[in-house]
Amino acid sequence: MFRHTSLRFWALGLIAAAAVLRALTAEYFGVEMVAEIAILAILVIALDMVAGFGGMVSLCHGALMGAGAYAYAMLTVKVGLAPSAAFAGAIAITGAASWLIGAVCGRSHGIYFIMATLAFGQMGYSLVFEQPVFGGDDGVSGVPRIDLSLIGLDLNDPRTFAFACLFVLGLVYWFATHVLQAGLGRTLTGIMHNEQRMRALGVNVWRIKADMFGLSGMIAAAAGALAAQHVMFVSPGLLNWTVSGEALVVVILGGLGTIIGPVIGAIAFVMLKHEVSAHTDYWHLVVGLILIAVVMSRANGIFGWLEQRLSRARPSSARDVIAHQVRKDLAAQGALEDA
Amino acid sequence: MQADLGFWVLQGLNALQLSMLLFLLSVGLTVIFGLMHFVNLAHGSLYALGAYAAATAGAAIGFWGGLLVAPFAVAALGVVLYLVFIRRMRRAGPMAQVLVTFGLIFVMLDLTRIVWGAQALSAPVPALLDGRLTILGVEYPAYRLFVIALGLAIWGVLALVLGRTQIGAMIRAGVDNDSMAACMGIDVEKMFFLVFCVGCALAGLAGAVAAPLLSVTPDMGLQILIPTLIVIVIGGLGSLKGAIAGSLIYGVVQTFGAVLFPQFASILIYGLLAAVLILRPAGLFPAKG
Amino acid sequence: MSNFVKAAVAAVIASSAVAQAQAEDIKVGLLLPFSGVYAALGEEIETGFRLGLDTFGEGSGASFEIVREDSEASPPVGLAKTRKLVMQDKVDVMAGVVSSGVLGAIRDVVDGAKVPLIVANAGNDEATGEACSPWITRMSFSNQQVNRPMGKYLVDQGITKVFTIGADYAAGQQMIGAFAEAFKAAGGEIVGQEFTPFQKTQDFGPFLAKAKSSGAQAVYAFYAGGEAISFVKQYDSFGMKDALPLYGAGFLTSQLYVDAQGRAAEGVVTALHYVPTIDNEANRQFVEAFKVKAGHLPSEYAVHGYDAARALVEAVKSGATDRETLGAALQKTSFDGPRGATAIDPATNNIVQPIYVYQIVAGEGGAQTQKVLSQLPAEADPVNGCEMALIN
Repeated sequence: MFRHTSLRFWALGLIAAAAVLRALTAEYFGVEMVAEIAILAILVIALDMVAGFGGMVSLCHGALMGAGAYAYAMLTVKVGLAPSAAFAGAIAITGAASWLIGAVCGRSHGIYFIMATLAFGQMGYSLVFEQPVFGGDDGVSGVPRIDLSLIGLDLNDPRTFAFACLFVLGLVYWFATHVLQAGLGRTLTGIMHNEQRMRALGVNVWRIKADMFGLSGMIAAAAGALAAQHVMFVSPGLLNWTVSGEALVVVILGGLGTIIGPVIGAIAFVMLKHEVSAHTDYWHLVVGLILIAVVMSRANGIFGWLEQRLSRARPSSARDVIAHQVRKDLAAQGALEDA
Repeated sequence: MQADLGFWVLQGLNALQLSMLLFLLSVGLTVIFGLMHFVNLAHGSLYALGAYAAATAGAAIGFWGGLLVAPFAVAALGVVLYLVFIRRMRRAGPMAQVLVTFGLIFVMLDLTRIVWGAQALSAPVPALLDGRLTILGVEYPAYRLFVIALGLAIWGVLALVLGRTQIGAMIRAGVDNDSMAACMGIDVEKMFFLVFCVGCALAGLAGAVAAPLLSVTPDMGLQILIPTLIVIVIGGLGSLKGAIAGSLIYGVVQTFGAVLFPQFASILIYGLLAAVLILRPAGLFPAKG
Repeated sequence: MSNFVKAAVAAVIASSAVAQAQAEDIKVGLLLPFSGVYAALGEEIETGFRLGLDTFGEGSGASFEIVREDSEASPPVGLAKTRKLVMQDKVDVMAGVVSSGVLGAIRDVVDGAKVPLIVANAGNDEATGEACSPWITRMSFSNQQVNRPMGKYLVDQGITKVFTIGADYAAGQQMIGAFAEAFKAAGGEIVGQEFTPFQKTQDFGPFLAKAKSSGAQAVYAFYAGGEAISFVKQYDSFGMKDALPLYGAGFLTSQLYVDAQGRAAEGVVTALHYVPTIDNEANRQFVEAFKVKAGHLPSEYAVHGYDAARALVEAVKSGATDRETLGAALQKTSFDGPRGATAIDPATNNIVQPIYVYQIVAGEGGAQTQKVLSQLPAEADPVNGCEMALIN
């Protein structure tokens, strides 16, 4: 279950202060990076909600974000909806699709769940890639940003847009932590720890999983709609499974099951990527090695390591729980089928 | 619709050829999974490496030499991967394994670019297989027939080894229940290592076989990875029967889908996959049961 | 965090200090894919571009500083990097762009910011058609330009029934479309048409079987990169070259891929704006210099970079110093280069250049080489809805 420890409060405050300071003072590209980090952070919060608190390790969150981006782009550019209505529409459409995926995949566990979500993600990728209505490989250009001139804001200004992204990130953080602390989140974590027991208690397991997956998809869609506005352009690459893999890596890098950790992971990842790619064309190699090292280390990412160092009682790591649960599942499966 | 029988024979052979290539790749991946519950996303990168090794060695010592060298070269890399990464990740859970091998994809992608450059390489078809053979009234490239034959041969050998030999019985016991197998005195760790190396060698062989057929590019491993994963998920993780069934289904759907419904070929595959996942979440022929 | 900021700030301060000290310093933003599937093209263009600056830059009185950015051939990344080059690095001129997707994505930014962009590859027709901009000058080719002449050429060769096949994305459709239109206008008939999933098709066997049974006299194809290699090899392995000769856009058998295609490419006839065997003095010099630098023969991509650099240098020599004057000068580019007489069409800002029909033949020592069959005259593209605004 999600708890707001004092360390998490401090980290949150520090990050918020640093982000605002940077958005105010940085040069053009620095400000763009703030927006990029905020959007990635929203996506990884969505992923951490299901992976860190429900054991649903999804490899389709990149595709969900891409679906949100495409829905927003199609609704504004092709349908001609007002951007704010399109934003809501994108969240609703993607949320519904995501709920369905959660309902279907929720029956499988461990590696099967990973593979099933990967399959659905790639299905979405193929759909936008091959259907001419989505613009194929060339994508959709001329995606507008939301018009906030009524309250005196011009989102076409990079700094204002970065602040808008930070604002949405704040909202998403508030929303995610509340959902996780409410009954839905607590039940889900109960399922992660012991699905059979929750089922015996009369919990409608697939429904809980689907609901959380749907909410997570809505948040991913918000990230996508922001990403579409950020570059004012969408292309199928957004939905590729490697984006999902990257998002998962960011969650691990920051600390699975901590919500604030993945945000830190997003900061670290974007910084690292820009820093390394400024020096070498082979930045994939360097970033890949660093990520392997992080995943292979015993610590639960940057934030998990911090928590472990700073707090006396070691919080139970969601990673251990998932690893343990999967072994149990496989053993149970074997036992059932042997019988 | 083409009424001509020859056309269907030709497309059938095309489907079979694609299936066999995918079989060589997926069988290694799926047996490694069945035994170790370990999904190696970098399996595609091993295939790419096999293609590069075959192209390089082939330029020096000819196609057949390259075909022989590539599996050993990739298996040697497999040994390194096993010792450095895989062994330590055995108990880490599927997510950590997926992510480590995901990172490996990008590391190996850039390593191939550094070693061989970004430009596409190619391996020539050996003189012996350069021509075409007439089969059922259809002219078909000899090399493609060779790929089909090789795939079938490997399938036969694996079925024999797994079904009839002692080591095969040990592997099956390990797939069924590794702790029980260990209790029976089987050195499970050694067996894992052996199977992992054989899986890598098969990936290398697939790469070497694909090199004269396709172009050898750094991203060829990424391109083949998703089809391979689809094959093993449809077929059922961990079983030889599943790998061959999944490969055949994929080859047929992909080939005939591309010819008959070009707009929907890949949607068709994913639709099929979704249907399998809904109806039989563990695939058509899961290893257990 | 702070290291990056410090480095960025330091770089900007340093570069602005240099700019003050030396008025003739031209800052070039080179946007190319250095990773991803187009990395080979990015390398080729960069080598050509640097060679062009070295060759022609002397005596221009200016020094050129290159800021290179990796577009990863991804439109969003290309767009982000373009914004960085324009707003933070404050480059005087941009060059590069391999993929049409990236060009489409960054078009509004360069047009809006009034930064001249010399396109060194991307050939989408709109960029010098309905979406043309006075700030975008293309020194490479347009998709239709390369393919249109082949329509009449094939009919002149007595071929009236053709099966077309190409990669299913904008460039593929434009290339095949331009050919098909010209071919039909000249009296030919398209008996079958196939677009294969872009960068996802590895086995062309199913499509080749379809072409074989279509009743066509020839196949016209467009592929590039790894797909071009696979396609040509598989076409040959099915033994189709004799019964059904293969024609296409020249990228199919580009110098970049012909070594990998080997004997399979022999006999294929395609059209392109550059092959290394073009017979003129400028090309001989270019080929020699490029071979020394890169160790292999230049491809059309290399010449794009080389000529883009030359266009930039000529603009500087004519007195241009900043974004505005460079943009105006680039529109007047005209010189005799490796491709023959090349010039910018003021109506569209697209290059006007001869098109070479060539065949791959076995050369000395067994390596494949290009035999130019025919030089088709330079022809400006139709305006296609381009309303060229004037710079200032």
